[in-house]
Amino acid sequence: MNSRRMTVIGPEASPPLDVLIIDDDAASAEACRRILEEDGYRVAVAGDGEQGLRMAEADNPSVVLLDPEIAGVAGFEALGRLAEAASATVPVVMTGKGTVDSAVESMRLGAHDYLAKPVNPERLLESVRRGVELGRLRRRAHAPRMKQDLLLQALALLEEAYSLGMGKRTLLEELAGLETEAKRHAQSLGRTWDKGRAIAEIREDLLQADAIMRSYGFRKNALIQTLLDVQEKFHWLPRHILEWISGRLDVPLREIYGIVHFYEAFSLEPRGRHSFQVCTGTACHVRGSSELLSRVSAALGLQPGQTDSRLTYTLETVHCLGCCALAPVIQIDSDYYRDPDRSRLDKIIKTMQREEAQA
Amino acid sequence: MKRLKTVADLEKLRAEAVAQRNAKDWLEVCTGSGCLACGAEAVADALDGEIEKRGLGHKVGVRRTGCHGFCEGAPLVVIHPSDTCYTKVQPKHAAPIIDGLGAGEGPVRDLLYLDEGTGERIERLQDIPFYRHQERVLLGDNVRIDSSSILDYIAVGGYGALAKALSEMTPESVLHEVKKANLRGRGGGGFPAGRKWETTRNAPGEPKYVIVNADEGDPGAFMDGSLLQGNPHSVLEGLILGAYAIGAAEGFIYVRQEYPLARKSIEIAIEQAREYGLLGRNILGSGFSFDVVIHRGAGAFVSGESSALMSAIEGRVGEPRPKYVHTSEKGLWGKPSCLNNVETWATVPHIIDKGADWFRGMGTEGSKGTKIFSLVGKVKNTGLVEVSMGIPLRDIIFKIGGGVPDGKSFKAVQTGGPSGGVIPAALLDLPVDFDELTKAGSMMGSGGMIVMDENTCMVDTARYYTSFLAHESCGKCVPCREGIRQMLAILDNIAAGKGREGDLEILEELAEFMQVASLCALGQSAPNPVASTLKYFREEYEEHIRHGRCRAGICTALIAYEIDQEKCQACGACQRNCPVDAIDKSEAGVFTIVHEKCIKCGACLKACPAKFGAVVKVPAGAVLRKSAEEIGLAGTSR
Ligand SMILES: Cc1cc2nc3c(=O)[nH]c(=O)nc-3n(C[C@H](O)[C@H](O)[C@H](O)COP(=O)(O)O)c2cc1C
Repeated sequence: MNSRRMTVIGPEASPPLDVLIIDDDAASAEACRRILEEDGYRVAVAGDGEQGLRMAEADNPSVVLLDPEIAGVAGFEALGRLAEAASATVPVVMTGKGTVDSAVESMRLGAHDYLAKPVNPERLLESVRRGVELGRLRRRAHAPRMKQDLLLQALALLEEAYSLGMGKRTLLEELAGLETEAKRHAQSLGRTWDKGRAIAEIREDLLQADAIMRSYGFRKNALIQTLLDVQEKFHWLPRHILEWISGRLDVPLREIYGIVHFYEAFSLEPRGRHSFQVCTGTACHVRGSSELLSRVSAALGLQPGQTDSRLTYTLETVHCLGCCALAPVIQIDSDYYRDPDRSRLDKIIKTMQREEAQA
Repeated sequence: MKRLKTVADLEKLRAEAVAQRNAKDWLEVCTGSGCLACGAEAVADALDGEIEKRGLGHKVGVRRTGCHGFCEGAPLVVIHPSDTCYTKVQPKHAAPIIDGLGAGEGPVRDLLYLDEGTGERIERLQDIPFYRHQERVLLGDNVRIDSSSILDYIAVGGYGALAKALSEMTPESVLHEVKKANLRGRGGGGFPAGRKWETTRNAPGEPKYVIVNADEGDPGAFMDGSLLQGNPHSVLEGLILGAYAIGAAEGFIYVRQEYPLARKSIEIAIEQAREYGLLGRNILGSGFSFDVVIHRGAGAFVSGESSALMSAIEGRVGEPRPKYVHTSEKGLWGKPSCLNNVETWATVPHIIDKGADWFRGMGTEGSKGTKIFSLVGKVKNTGLVEVSMGIPLRDIIFKIGGGVPDGKSFKAVQTGGPSGGVIPAALLDLPVDFDELTKAGSMMGSGGMIVMDENTCMVDTARYYTSFLAHESCGKCVPCREGIRQMLAILDNIAAGKGREGDLEILEELAEFMQVASLCALGQSAPNPVASTLKYFREEYEEHIRHGRCRAGICTALIAYEIDQEKCQACGACQRNCPVDAIDKSEAGVFTIVHEKCIKCGACLKACPAKFGAVVKVPAGAVLRKSAEEIGLAGTSR
């Protein structure tokens, strides 16, 4: 184990690479990358065998996706060298020449799985998921010194907990609780379950919540202001953050929920990346905002308050946008429109869809 | 060293600021919310670019100001010092506008306001009818200052009242002046500000607090937000004066969450005031110290009520409490706390500066000074207007507002927001002040003024406010929570054509009960929209109940859309715009509406070219009768 890998434990380390794709067919590599990244994996691409082997050594990815037909270092050779390197990396072969021979050869050389091109996204995800899991197990076994370091850190933590009068059990319970929250959170966002990533994310969230509370000196009476900042940052109030705030400020969770339910500004559900806000102020009402609302609602296929399942759009009503001369008005993201008709709305929605597809 | 240590320092700074301002011509671009929505920022950028391109930076400047008021003309640009007012300006107009400056080519005619009555273009802002009949004591400066520049405020005389008070007046005499002016609260109730200040000043308990109510929950009103955004220092100066008179060392500004621009503006203002020593310790060397904290609201109408607002500042749910003790005696953390509205505070520097007698020279016996209204709805000139109290409603709506657009007839005007009521055409000559509006069954409220025409349904209006209030009632007391809910259920029925005889009497009973039994003013005034529409437009309710008819064509259950085949040119625009595919085209090319699918969104009516006018609203009953005829049941009524 070299010292670089050690840094994986530290909080400032750059996140480890999940998948390295070695393929000289750029289009196919790009397609795989997109599928994997959409599911939250960190992915890199190498265009030939030599570069691939170099990157594999430097970045120590959990899984390598390799096409043995590539130019340069012959693919099968690369596969052999990867498997021999005795690292934790799990090689997976994908090839357009789906012959029995090549499959047998791949497996013989140590491939963990074998995918035919063009790659079926579901098969790909399933294979990578299993590969990542296996890689993690292997890495643990491969990393005796890392384990000792972790234990040292845990002991330090335990020591501090004891000195504060907190038992080991309480500590573990609290941690387990946070892990459960992390899992629930990942599920509520429709993500595939990846323990390590979920924990990293939730930790990041809690650090941000702390930063917000710190800016108000951790004052209880700044609770509403704190929640407003959280809402602004995350566009909603995830439960793990509310529980965290409750603990930090020593305010019962029920009181926090009381406040959250009372005020319009807070949302307990994730909101879409684009917001459609139909003004229902009095000026807009008398100039036909309800007709505008049903038009927008039909165009998006959403009722007011709803967000689509892919978290693209949220449709809401607001009491007054303060630009009554435009009545009836809708605010779409940061732009205002005076009573747009159906074709205008469709155009706006189409543009958004195109941008989403590109992103 | 920016810190001003004495009044003399301030006056020296003022002289410099005035000199700087006079050295250039200014293009004052309105960046209020309405103009921003119409692209004012791009206009300002284009003007900046043009000035730079021509190297005129030493002679001409662009000033981004708060709301000018005349939102109908957005985006607006006013030239200083000529007061030339340009409307509907676009970035491409930057070059001609600059050509027209000074001794140049004269004003750009096409951008000047067109008086439809006389067919003439009007150049100067103060000659445009919208402005001519106003008395813009508070709003006037919005045109002249960039809210992010304390120097702009100082140049137009800002902080002069504070300097005067701190150097020449005792706290008692400041209080006396405000009492003598008989300034009444602009946030709704109209309670005399001086008396409230005195209560807090004399109440036992330290420290004392002063608070600005910038929650502006009334939907359709944007005066407070515009004032706070456009001229934040005027509110701040008023608050400091109040703190001095009352003996408070700390203040709060409670800003509505939906006003990010106003919040930003007051944040910058506070920072600058601190830098210049106008907030903080030993202000202008007087020994008086005072500072302010901003608190954001989180979107709840009831939180604008005084006791609710204070519990929100304390970090708790913003619910009202019974007021056997007033917040002016026991408010924030149980200490004496004086809460006033944005406009109330902003009026104070003017009173101290020009004196109570000047202020009393405007308005009526019981209501002195001016009031800002947000004039919106079915009116030609939507915008913010400031008028002397006592001006007839008719002048506001017709002289300033230009009347009802599209040749429609005026039906009513709603004032006072969800706590107010409607005033019918017969009362158009009513002088607008606190007492007259209340007598007419409405109220001044914070200043929302929504004009309604023949196409506005009064049942729908009552239902709109009641459903707003049902949503906003905090639910703490039963009369308000249940009363509003029952009222809404009855109104929903009436609007759906399912009203019954006796419904109106139940509404009246409920109204009376809620007025006396509710805990706070939200519940007590919640029946006003229903009561006032019932009082003046009872026959509209009766038509809904007895004949299933909505004469304004608004209550969707009682109307239907039809295509008039005589007029239809078969262009298909309606079909393309229908969101639910409820328009059929027969093989012969005839378009018809499939009523079973129609959601009555009006998209077809909007899409049908005005010159055809083939899509029409008809009473729902007509459609029912027609389909009955089609299946051979002619003659059977519904
Ligand atoms: C339900 C409710 C909502 C209110 N909302 C506001 C508001 O948004 N802005 C405001 O200035 N006053 C509002 N008020 C009035 C305040 O309670 C209080 O009377 C006012 O801020 C005092 O200031 P003033 O005397 O200067 O008007 C509201 C009152 C009630 C009952």
